[in-house]
Amino acid sequence: MKRADLPIFFCLCLFFLSACSTGDRREGHLHVRLNVNPTTLDPAHIVDVTGGIIAAKLFNGLVRLDESLEIIPDLAESWDISPDRTVYTFHLRRGVTFSNNREVTASDFKYSFERILDPAGKSPNTWVLDKIAGADEYLKGKAGSVAGIEALDAYTVRLRLAKPFSPFLNLLTMTAAYVLPQEEVGKRGNDFSAHPVGTGPFILTEWKHNNRLVLERYEGYYDKKAKLKGIVYRIVPEDLTAVVEFELGNLDVISIPASEFRRFRESAKWKDLISSMPGINTYYLGFHCGRPPFNEPKARKAVSLAIDREKILATYYENRGRPAAGPVPDLLRRWASPEPMPYDREAAKKMIRETGLQGRPLWFYVTADQEVIDIAEIIQDYLEKAGLIVRIKQLEWSAYKAAINNGEADMFWISWWADYPDPENFLFPLFHSSNHGPGGNRTRYTNKTVDFLIEAGQMALNIPGSAKSYERAEKIIVEEAPWVFFWHKTDFTLRQPFVRNYKIYPIYSIDKGLEVSF
Amino acid sequence: MAPLLAGITFVTFSLTKALPGDPVYGMVAERSSPEIIEKIRKELGADKSVVRQYAGYVTLLAKGELGRSYFTNREVMADISVKFPNTMRLAFAAMLIAAPLGIFLGFISAKNKGRAADRIITMLSVSGISVPVFWSGLLLMLLFSLRLRYLPPSGTGGIRYLLLPALTLSLPALASLVRVTRVTVLDVIQMPFVRTARAKGLSEAGISLIHVLKNALIPVITVIGLEFGSYLNGAVLTETIFGWDGLGRYAMEGIIKRDYPVIMGCLLIGTIIFISVNLLVDIIYHFIDPRVRLHGSER
Repeated sequence: MKRADLPIFFCLCLFFLSACSTGDRREGHLHVRLNVNPTTLDPAHIVDVTGGIIAAKLFNGLVRLDESLEIIPDLAESWDISPDRTVYTFHLRRGVTFSNNREVTASDFKYSFERILDPAGKSPNTWVLDKIAGADEYLKGKAGSVAGIEALDAYTVRLRLAKPFSPFLNLLTMTAAYVLPQEEVGKRGNDFSAHPVGTGPFILTEWKHNNRLVLERYEGYYDKKAKLKGIVYRIVPEDLTAVVEFELGNLDVISIPASEFRRFRESAKWKDLISSMPGINTYYLGFHCGRPPFNEPKARKAVSLAIDREKILATYYENRGRPAAGPVPDLLRRWASPEPMPYDREAAKKMIRETGLQGRPLWFYVTADQEVIDIAEIIQDYLEKAGLIVRIKQLEWSAYKAAINNGEADMFWISWWADYPDPENFLFPLFHSSNHGPGGNRTRYTNKTVDFLIEAGQMALNIPGSAKSYERAEKIIVEEAPWVFFWHKTDFTLRQPFVRNYKIYPIYSIDKGLEVSF
Repeated sequence: MAPLLAGITFVTFSLTKALPGDPVYGMVAERSSPEIIEKIRKELGADKSVVRQYAGYVTLLAKGELGRSYFTNREVMADISVKFPNTMRLAFAAMLIAAPLGIFLGFISAKNKGRAADRIITMLSVSGISVPVFWSGLLLMLLFSLRLRYLPPSGTGGIRYLLLPALTLSLPALASLVRVTRVTVLDVIQMPFVRTARAKGLSEAGISLIHVLKNALIPVITVIGLEFGSYLNGAVLTETIFGWDGLGRYAMEGIIKRDYPVIMGCLLIGTIIFISVNLLVDIIYHFIDPRVRLHGSER
């Protein structure tokens, strides 16, 4: 390199270095951490919680959930349900506008729902709406539209179900049931996710992939407007980095990483700024119930008896959760809790000998996540002390999921988080025999009575009726032990002292960002 | 380059498809019926044979496209064109720290062989190579962001955001440059032409700069080229710690989710970069050392 080239080279370098810079805090905006970039903001494709959190701020559906998990009106101000619980007639609010200023009408719902069920689309969320009459024919391309979705007039939507489905209104609170303007989707096509237009209290104004998203208040929101000017979601993948950002005041709210929990709880400055919420989730160890050795309920119970779950929860998690007695989270159970399986190593040893479990290696599949690996090693230790041989197999998420969907593991560690707050969500996908594998029932548990009881609960005409069936189903499941029921985790968040009216909600769709302020 | 690229696409495509795991399971999340999974597979073309999928991919490439991500539905080319400049800025900045400092310290170390300065520099360079970036990165962040409040801990942006990740990323390269420079300078110092230069009465500084350093540069530039090439393919850990939106995190997310178009796109771009950087290094050799000819027959 000639000497004259050097200054030019350095100038070029400086140019690269100084190109594009971003400002720090935005006045009046809540700064919130996300640990991953939302995959998409197109309601037809959202399956992750991060996407759901943001979509709740941008879109609305017919109904939504309130803090006590009851269904309340959203864009439908009222609705009638036929006595046989198959016809739902929704009366829409008038004057609700999309952020492009066009009024929402009944035909927008028909369009949005049919978009999910589109035979040419690849929405993974068809299950949310496939209970509607005619959905199957439409999905298979045998009908031009879904017969059960009708716009009776500009402000009346009628949904007809093929058969009664007690949690149907719950399904309509989900991301996939949000209403979208056809003209915007048509204009953007595949890129609608980058330019979402909805009716929600906020509008997306900036999305720097893997960096940050900026939402501004929508002044034309139909309900009371948000108190915040906007929300900045910053994508900070590393937990410790997020804590540093928070301590510097660059973030207003973070969920507390496990490693920092004790420090914040014991700090006089922060301990009163911690919010907690019992999460609607269940963590479990699943058995492959479709083949030996765990096709025997006795073998499964032996493993259950051998693990002191309460001790693990108290020590490893410092009680950041509640012990699980069955699959249904305590917040959703409208009946007496089943008797939890005790910890009894001697009884476990005896049952292990009786079932011939000892001496053969059992494959325990887990994801390659440090917390999960720690838990797996603790479980391994308990089981080996009871006389079993446990081989842990770590796989990263995609390979793990394929393996458990295909039934490769004897035992596996996973959790289930509510899509909607109904016990049905913790029974049908996880234990009904029609859902083996990717449907959710990865243990391949099969019991005709349980199938029947879950279906009866789905078809019941009222809540007490369905609760009665679910209670019986849960009792049988706990007795047959296709899972070792571990715990329901509690979420903890930390906020800055100047953040007011902040709340943490059990399901992300509840949080529309309307109350929180400075 | 074209046959090389064809070979690379073939190898990477086969390897990607041979990975265990299935992107569709990620797309449908926790519950879906087998019919929907089949339907999505069909939409993605994943139901076809691998050979036909490869043919489809090559056709796409021939049109100058990299396809769309299975998950985000965004164009891979558009994403890479945002992330690559970020990665490039990080790589340049890291090299701008590592190269001059590394050569300087290595040179000092060699000139003071066996003395205290040499021992200290050698010790530091050994720890620089051994310390993982996720540790040094967090320490730097705690010092410069939390304690001193000079620099923002994370984010993608201007020079203030760039300094910490660049410094972190530069440390291992800095350390290996120190070591390479030291060894080669020690080699060159013993060469007869250095003695000759001294005998001619040249100043010590002149000898160091013109005769010693210039002749020691070839292995140093090789190391710079290799490190730079790998920086340009992204630095997953550094990018993750500092929330820098670069190619490394993008590729890693693609791999974890089995997002085939993203993985293929990143590998392809990465290969092109690596080949180009190596070519550039070869050209630089030619300028530094006339013995290295671009055309072997030219004499």
